[in-house]
Amino acid sequence: MRRVGGSHRGLDMWLLQRASAVYMALFLPVFLVCTLCSGPLDYAAWRGLFEALAMKVATFLFVAAMLAHAWIGLREIFIDYLHCARCTLLRLSLYFAFAVLYLACLVWTVDILWSVR
Amino acid sequence: MRFRIYRYDPESGAAPFHQEYDLDYDPKGKKVLDALIAIKDTLDESLSFRRSCREGVCGSDGVNVNGTNVLACITPLEGLKQPIEIRPLPRLGVIRDLIVDMAQFYQHYRAVKPYLINLDPEPENERLQSPQERAELDGLWECILCGCCTTSCPSFWWNPDKFLGPAALLQGYRFIADTRDQSTNERLDFLEDPYRLFRCHGIMNCVEVCPKGLNPTAAIGKIKSLLVKRAL
Repeated sequence: MRRVGGSHRGLDMWLLQRASAVYMALFLPVFLVCTLCSGPLDYAAWRGLFEALAMKVATFLFVAAMLAHAWIGLREIFIDYLHCARCTLLRLSLYFAFAVLYLACLVWTVDILWSVR
Repeated sequence: MRFRIYRYDPESGAAPFHQEYDLDYDPKGKKVLDALIAIKDTLDESLSFRRSCREGVCGSDGVNVNGTNVLACITPLEGLKQPIEIRPLPRLGVIRDLIVDMAQFYQHYRAVKPYLINLDPEPENERLQSPQERAELDGLWECILCGCCTTSCPSFWWNPDKFLGPAALLQGYRFIADTRDQSTNERLDFLEDPYRLFRCHGIMNCVEVCPKGLNPTAAIGKIKSLLVKRAL
């Protein structure tokens, strides 16, 4: 089959991976400070930390950024190492499988975060 | 001096192998290419390799010496661990001994349209640039297309048919950066896909081996910045 031109999907993925990395780098120190300032780290304090809506949303975004970052990283690995003639189907299946797995993790995160009241 | 050199003769039908040579040679002030020529002259006239200018200008004698891609003509023999292992550039097809098939490499080079595209009527004398605009091209135009960088890049090893490789991308940026060129958008369009440019993960093998001291990774970074600027 004739090889056709670029799919124009390189930049979005690359940019999203950088953006998610920036958010994670901003969130983690803030989260660490919040945790250290919340007093002795027992169950009640840990629970209390996630009671505020802002913390729930920020943590949700963090997990979303991490999963997006990880999925793009996996995509890079698959593109790099799975490129035999018959690997396209395998690669697409892997993209799909990991997308489903990570989306499930994200839904689970919502369930965990919003169960704290 | 002891050498261990990759040999392959397609006409013999034999599999590639390494041949050892013991050469009585004073390495002082001599380069790897001098030793290769001496071996060919005195020990084995069937040893094949490319060379032309023998002073690091033509870029035809790129080889892998002790695991590093170098130009044989400017790499000093002194200080090299013996036996000095000389192999063809990695990942390219071997035509014979140290001679590799550069077709794929040149195909990527041609793909970036390494020439000025300017549809304005030609001026009487020349298309002018300010000294600052000209300075943008320094570190880009000096590339001699020896292939040392591209063949040291794992992204090229994994996807040699789709990833353009550092040399072609450096040349691509040389014309993107040129203020006299009018097809920047088309050039960026061509590079905006998951393979051609974005297989580069910035491990900088290219920078480490470039015999001319150029920095393809920086050029690739600048192309990425331009793509981002254009997208936002």
